[in-house]
Amino acid sequence: MALYLIARIADEMIALPATEIGSVVEVDQIAAVPRVARHIAGLFALRSRVLTVIDTRASLELGTIDRAGEKTAIVVECESHSYALLVDEVEDVIEAGEPEPCPALLAASWRRAAKGTIRHGENAILLVDPAALVAGPEPLAA
Amino acid sequence: MDDLLTDFIAETRETLEALAGEIVAWEADPEDRTRLDAIFRFVHTVKGSCGFLDLPRLQRLSHSAEDVLAEVRSGTRAPDAALVSAVLAIIDRIGELTDALEANETLPEGEDEFLIAALVQGNHTASDAVDADQAVVAKINVLPATPPTRAVSRSIRLPVELLDRMMAGVSDMVLARNELSRLLRTGGTTSAVDVAFERLSLCVGEMRDSITRTRMSRIDTLFSVLPRMVRDLTAELGKSVKLEVDGGDVELDREMIEMIRDPLTHIVRNALDHGIEKPEERRKAGKPETGRLRIGARQSANQILIEVIDDGRGIDAERVVRKAVTAGLVSSEQAATMNWSHKLNLIFEPGLSTADQVTGVSGRGVGMDVVRANIERIGGTVDIDSTPGQGLRLSLRVPLTLTIIPALTVSAGGTHFAIPRSAIDELVRPKGDQVRIERIGGELVAFIRGVRLPVVDLGRFMGLAEEANPALLVVLRAGGGERYALGVEAVHDHEELVVKPAAPALMASGVYAGTTLPDNSRPMLLLDVAGIAAVASVGLAQSVVDEKPAARRKAEATLPTLLFRDLDGVTRGVRLALVERIEDVPADSVVVTGGSQMLPLQGRLTTLHAAAALPKGQRLRVLRLSDGEAALAYAIDQVIDVIELRGELTPTPVAGPVAGVVLHDGAPIEMLDPYWLFTSVMVAPANDDSPLCLVADSHDPWAREVLAPLLGAAGYRVHFAGEPTDDPISVVVTTGSAPEGIDAPVVRLRGTPEGSGDQSIYRYDRDGLLRALRQHVAGGK
Repeated sequence: MALYLIARIADEMIALPATEIGSVVEVDQIAAVPRVARHIAGLFALRSRVLTVIDTRASLELGTIDRAGEKTAIVVECESHSYALLVDEVEDVIEAGEPEPCPALLAASWRRAAKGTIRHGENAILLVDPAALVAGPEPLAA
Repeated sequence: MDDLLTDFIAETRETLEALAGEIVAWEADPEDRTRLDAIFRFVHTVKGSCGFLDLPRLQRLSHSAEDVLAEVRSGTRAPDAALVSAVLAIIDRIGELTDALEANETLPEGEDEFLIAALVQGNHTASDAVDADQAVVAKINVLPATPPTRAVSRSIRLPVELLDRMMAGVSDMVLARNELSRLLRTGGTTSAVDVAFERLSLCVGEMRDSITRTRMSRIDTLFSVLPRMVRDLTAELGKSVKLEVDGGDVELDREMIEMIRDPLTHIVRNALDHGIEKPEERRKAGKPETGRLRIGARQSANQILIEVIDDGRGIDAERVVRKAVTAGLVSSEQAATMNWSHKLNLIFEPGLSTADQVTGVSGRGVGMDVVRANIERIGGTVDIDSTPGQGLRLSLRVPLTLTIIPALTVSAGGTHFAIPRSAIDELVRPKGDQVRIERIGGELVAFIRGVRLPVVDLGRFMGLAEEANPALLVVLRAGGGERYALGVEAVHDHEELVVKPAAPALMASGVYAGTTLPDNSRPMLLLDVAGIAAVASVGLAQSVVDEKPAARRKAEATLPTLLFRDLDGVTRGVRLALVERIEDVPADSVVVTGGSQMLPLQGRLTTLHAAAALPKGQRLRVLRLSDGEAALAYAIDQVIDVIELRGELTPTPVAGPVAGVVLHDGAPIEMLDPYWLFTSVMVAPANDDSPLCLVADSHDPWAREVLAPLLGAAGYRVHFAGEPTDDPISVVVTTGSAPEGIDAPVVRLRGTPEGSGDQSIYRYDRDGLLRALRQHVAGGK
């Protein structure tokens, strides 16, 4: 049994392993960064740290998250860089057992990001790899 | 891994590194007892530790080396080249095994026996010895970096992560301090809070300096592997080279050292492989058979300068450019317009190889582009200079610390960006003849004092603005001698920023060097000056440098300048040629007369100029300046130095005692304006025959306070309108209309610099005014 954070991106519920999450924060001012991939929303200052803000909808090619007003973001760390994953809503933190394999039929963008599914009550929630969200739709240039 | 083993590994490494230089020196003079003893002690210690740590291989190796060295010490065996090589091979093997130990790997056993066998006298042939050398050379090991401190006495070993955490913590502290400072400034504060904050600020600053020093390491950790490397390489290449290393005690950031390691190694290998010739070739060229390789480091302001100089065959820039044209990197038209330095810099272009032979030692000689890229990635520059047949000099300049960088904040399209100050040449406003922007072939080009530079408009480049319409130009050095102008909307602050690495996705754009959080807590991006040039394709083709400045710079050596601290604390300079003497005078010998201060110097009353109130005290230090005719005294605080000034003067917009600013070692130095100083001196005191000026605006405070003294100092008598006088008036100066009934030429002054077409003179155009007066007075007579 382990803890998972459940969040909503577009219409889909996703789960992230709690051990890979730093914190959940409210993001209001995002400084735009020109000339980068579309899923990079910009930079956000959290106390004295600068986080790179990721639009998870854009990462999964589901459009873009409405950036107006306060949004919720999940702070993760990938290869010693800090990121704020913008999601539509953070729903809950649940306990669940070992992940099961992904369903066979998955859209390409989800297939890249999904690591499995976890069972919560009657539902199967897609377990997502934060690194895949950070990487976004195109693979990072070598 | 248990503590004992970790200690053993660390200690062995440290000693190995310290020994590297000793060993080569020992070989040059095997009779040197102290060195022999040092090496003996090393293997002896290793042998001892291996015993109770249960490391049989290391024990065997060190034991055999120890035996041999003991024989040399007792005189029963003579240290010849073969023995030295064999001992070195063993010591190398000890190093490798130690590394493997730490990484939990194993190395094949077989070679141990071979190495040990090589130690036995007469048990090998000359070729065997060379083979052993080859085996070692083939694995040219770069000895691993060691912890920062090398002091023999009180030192401590720390995990590197702890130091990094401390550094991150201090950077955060600096940011928090800046934030607090901002809040205090805007939110209001009491004097008690101010004092407390100042103390806090001081402590934070000192802590930051100390922590930065913990990250510093002597560049010796880089240099210490060089004697060994040079020895091995020259042996393999059949060349003879004397290595001189200088400045090993210069310190720089640990991270920086690691990033320089490979480029430096590559440069040295190139010098040995392609640069320095074989002895016969040198003899034929009339050079000493032993080549010289000099590697030196020194600190200069906030940069470290590392030079690699050899007296080999050098690089023929003409050959380079010919190869570049053949390779299609440059067109022949472009090649024709390049100067020597430009052609030489082509060596850094990828895809160019001037090495006639591919060798196993340094490869195809195409690594220079990688060298430059690596150095520029850390914010440094590489410069090259060469005289064919005589040698080559490579200069690496790297910033002192990686994380806290002085930067200029600019904005474009409403967004702020930071530019590292080290990349900035100057800041200009497109205006008038000196600086103008033109559109050529659809692209913007700037002409700055006759030099043409490509322009990248930051706003349009970043997609933040539709039109390229730069209000200001920041002239940047893109590395490799290239310059370009970045067009921006506005320039804001100049501050020291804590820069953190940017996420890979941001670096992928190729135009950012990091992220930073300035005082206002809005995250900002640090621009990668070279990256922007590359992405905007600001290439060799476009930066055509005017030939004359380069030639002039060669002919006009440097300007000997007297550097001093002025009374107002500012560091200023004056051309040494103007300084006749430096004198200490009694402070009470200064007399104030007619509104100015004067000093008796060598029996004559000389005008004294001072930038601030004269200090209270017994004595006053003054410079006696003279241009051959006029003389004046300039009061200073103290002389700093006599230096050779190399930079270009950035003139001040307003005439005054300071002519402009020159960059010396990265710091701005105000230069005194001798012309202004001398012409402000009372040259000819007005006497009864001097022409009489009538100042019409007798009620204008400016006319009384500024204009009248200026006229008086220029040798005119001054009268104000409304004062009765019998003398004929030579000329009238007015800002409005001339007073009635006066038959004299009128010089009209206006308040704005731009002309209004009525032959009026800008009131602050001192030269213009005096010239007009002279003309009118002369014409009148």
